Amino acid sequence: MHFSRTTIVTISLLLLSSCGGGGGSSVSTAPAPSGDTPTEPVISVAQAHRFLRQASFGPTPAEVDNVRNIGFEAWIDQQLLQTPSLQLPYMDDLAEPENNREGQTNRLDAWFRNALTGEDQLRQRVAFALSQIMVVSDQSSLFNFPNGLADYYDELTLHAFGNYQELLKAVTLTPAMGLYLSMLGNQKPDKAMNIRPDENYAREVMQLFSIGLVMLNEDGSTILDQDNQPVPTYDQSIIEGFAHVFTGWTFYGSESFNQPSYIFRLPMVAFQDFHDGGEKRLLNEVVLPAGQTAVDDLDAALENIASHANVPAFISRQLIQRLVSANPSAAYIGRVAAVFIDDGYGTRGNLSAVVKAILLDPEARAEPADANSGKLTEPLLRLTAVWRAFDASAANNRYLFAYPEFSFSQAPLRADSVFNFFRPDFAPPGEISKLGLVSPEMQITNETTSVTVNNYLALAIFLQHSAVVEKDEATIYIDIESELALVDQPQALINQVADKLLGGNISEQLRSETASMMAHWDTQAGKVVEAIHMIATSPEFAVLR
Amino acid sequence: MNYTLQRRKFLKLSAALSALGLIGGPGLIPLARSAEFTGYKCLVNVFLLGGNDSFNMLVPRSDAEYNVYAASRQNLAIAQEALLPISPLNSDGVLYGFHPMATGLQGLFESGDLAVVSNVGPLLEPVSKDDYLNGNTLLPPQLFSHNDQRNQWQSLRGTTNLSTGWAGRIADSLADDLSGQMLPTNISTSGNSRFQSGDTTSPYTVNNSGASSYAAFRRNAEYGPERQASFERQLTNGFDNIHSRALADVHSRSLLYADLINDALRLVPELNTPFPESRLGRRLRIVARLLAVKDEFEVNRQIFYITTGGFDTHNDQNQDQPDLLMDLGDCLLAFQTAMTEIGLSDQVTTFTQSDFGRTLTSNGDGTDHGWGGHQLVSGSAVLGQRVFGTMPSLEIDGADDVAGGRIIPTLSADQYAATLANWFGVDDSSLDQIAPNLAAFNLRNLGFMA
Repeated sequence: MHFSRTTIVTISLLLLSSCGGGGGSSVSTAPAPSGDTPTEPVISVAQAHRFLRQASFGPTPAEVDNVRNIGFEAWIDQQLLQTPSLQLPYMDDLAEPENNREGQTNRLDAWFRNALTGEDQLRQRVAFALSQIMVVSDQSSLFNFPNGLADYYDELTLHAFGNYQELLKAVTLTPAMGLYLSMLGNQKPDKAMNIRPDENYAREVMQLFSIGLVMLNEDGSTILDQDNQPVPTYDQSIIEGFAHVFTGWTFYGSESFNQPSYIFRLPMVAFQDFHDGGEKRLLNEVVLPAGQTAVDDLDAALENIASHANVPAFISRQLIQRLVSANPSAAYIGRVAAVFIDDGYGTRGNLSAVVKAILLDPEARAEPADANSGKLTEPLLRLTAVWRAFDASAANNRYLFAYPEFSFSQAPLRADSVFNFFRPDFAPPGEISKLGLVSPEMQITNETTSVTVNNYLALAIFLQHSAVVEKDEATIYIDIESELALVDQPQALINQVADKLLGGNISEQLRSETASMMAHWDTQAGKVVEAIHMIATSPEFAVLR
Repeated sequence: MNYTLQRRKFLKLSAALSALGLIGGPGLIPLARSAEFTGYKCLVNVFLLGGNDSFNMLVPRSDAEYNVYAASRQNLAIAQEALLPISPLNSDGVLYGFHPMATGLQGLFESGDLAVVSNVGPLLEPVSKDDYLNGNTLLPPQLFSHNDQRNQWQSLRGTTNLSTGWAGRIADSLADDLSGQMLPTNISTSGNSRFQSGDTTSPYTVNNSGASSYAAFRRNAEYGPERQASFERQLTNGFDNIHSRALADVHSRSLLYADLINDALRLVPELNTPFPESRLGRRLRIVARLLAVKDEFEVNRQIFYITTGGFDTHNDQNQDQPDLLMDLGDCLLAFQTAMTEIGLSDQVTTFTQSDFGRTLTSNGDGTDHGWGGHQLVSGSAVLGQRVFGTMPSLEIDGADDVAGGRIIPTLSADQYAATLANWFGVDDSSLDQIAPNLAAFNLRNLGFMA
């Protein structure tokens, strides 16, 4: 199923005019407890819901109950033990794709499957966050290698609760990253030919994946020099040092350095003859001695990066931004960075401890402090939240969605460049900019994309629900049966939809507007999907407080 | 659509949305027309994402200079005889040629509609190689970094925290004179950018066929108008969170301008001039179509922002660069032809920017991040068929190379911007607000605009 922008609009128009008529059988809701009134859990529906919007691809009623029953920390501990859901094994079980486009669609199928149905929700969410910090993209020669990208994503998934330095090494040695930032095939200098090592990976691994451009305090604030200017973390000579480190690597199983095997599923290997043997200047005045092997140089260089003082705050801040809030306080960043530095058992870079610290921090758990709190939800995560809340599925048991980026300006491993869909410091002109705050997701929010996001949601809700009579086996339908059962009680119906999408936090205005719009309809399904659409396309739903 | 009707419809919606303060700021609410700008001028920024290797785009053909070039570039050098010859009116005594695939650029140059501005880049003050090596000069922070140098080109912020872009500041500074415009001065085909961010004005984004409109609000959608009215009530009621407010602001502008734009575009569904079916071609085509119906918007000054990517040629440069430069040339030529078709060729000026030039040295099959590079300016108001500025030495470790073939710019991005802004209508006295580092340079205007 390939949707172009125009098709989506056209289809949605057609079906908007013809939807309704569904009716649907009544489905019993949970029975009211009889006998002893059980004690209300300490955690409210709203609190559990907000937590799950931070920690998963969208709350479901069952997961909200689970969090309320066992508590935030126990839920995280449960998640840490879940088996990782991977992409490659699933893709291997599918029929051989006919072309690379179909292969990429299979890859997205695997991603949606894990995001929507994986039991390891927290791991999947963290992997998605990491995929936007350590970026590779199929908008490159990697388009031809869907399995290579899936392998990359699986590495992120496997290391999401592991150690940062091991993650950095895994990322560095994936052939996908090797191709994307041209470390693969990078070779020692040839002065006569004016050939020097490629600086691409050397630069971006520092600028984007680990330490950033300027020296940071432990709380993420910028260190300023006597002229009030930021202090650079490195200069060109250090980039050249790392560029020389990253020489000599290519695909595993290659007959020679210049005859690549294109084996993507195993880490790259070094050909010593193509590795530079000189000294290399690294961070913190470290100089690698001449004559080391490519492997020893690489290990020492990654250790050098991972132990830099910037890493804890630089990575912690971005993970907080992906999961919880756009503008975490310095104290919040500092608390998380402290856990990054030492997880309590003397280990640096323990990502499971970091994630736990992010989600259990008072700033993440307390009621939203003020108007500046929270974040704009990533557009793609609005869709997954709707699909998870209403248990969306297709008859063919697949999630065939070839071009999410046309509507949502993002898709897994599909950024325009290594700078991701948006930058952590993006501030839209106006109020946010004037306050000195940021709203990264606003970088992909403009007069075009704000419409295309809502148009896709309109399609996914108005046209693709369980009461549609003539179903297509590849279309993903939301399940509205339990809402249809409430259709004679509009307020109860609105409450249920508001519980699913907003944790019950619906403004009086949105409630009354939703009721008015529902009242236009004389079909049961019409009333239900109108209510879901009203809430799912509201600015209230788009923002995670 | 009938002109008066269009305006009445626009004013009605505009008033509805501005009543509660949602649509604000100069340039958004039509006020009395100003007499200041009666004519029309337009700037089109074609931003080459990734850093264009422009030292392979324009190459010396004279033997001595070519040999220096070839010795530096080695396996990335373009063959001397393959270069497309040009005949600049302001010759420096050296023969030059465009990249063999850049036939569009050669054609535009030779017909007088294209100028090259040589070796320009972000600078805070003139920089000599000695000053650079001794640390005796002010430099833009984070040279050679993509997003930082792109930010410099777009914001000209230097070492300050300036968050606006120079097109945003132009729109801010002309806001009073342009208050009658029915569209924001800044329009993007490529999403949000620093370039167009203003302090009091916001840019507006179109897609490749015009404005996106809400499927659920259409007349033929069941209860579409009611649903739109409901959505507008939500927007005007306001929100108690900065992110909600920012999003609501964007939604309001989507609602405000979509019909205006799409109704106007129906008047001129297609131009006769064909455009290449590339990302850049499609984006330039929608700009050309919007310009064809510009009178519907009552605009006197517009700035468009278009990006095209793929220029970060760390590897496979010899495979990728020919397509990139062919596309760039073909697209700029098509756009200029389209401007002639609609009679705006001397009122619309197109110019390139890019993250940085690239290293003269190779990393085997590609190049790394450099500094200075050549930029292109096209349109009939351009003093075309000329190369402005001084060609740098292309010798590795030569007079202009700070190391590894990274060339020190001889002209600054501020001078480049100021020259365009001045043509656009910014007073000389206001140029320093647009280009904050301009005072550090002798020439306030590079002279490439008629």
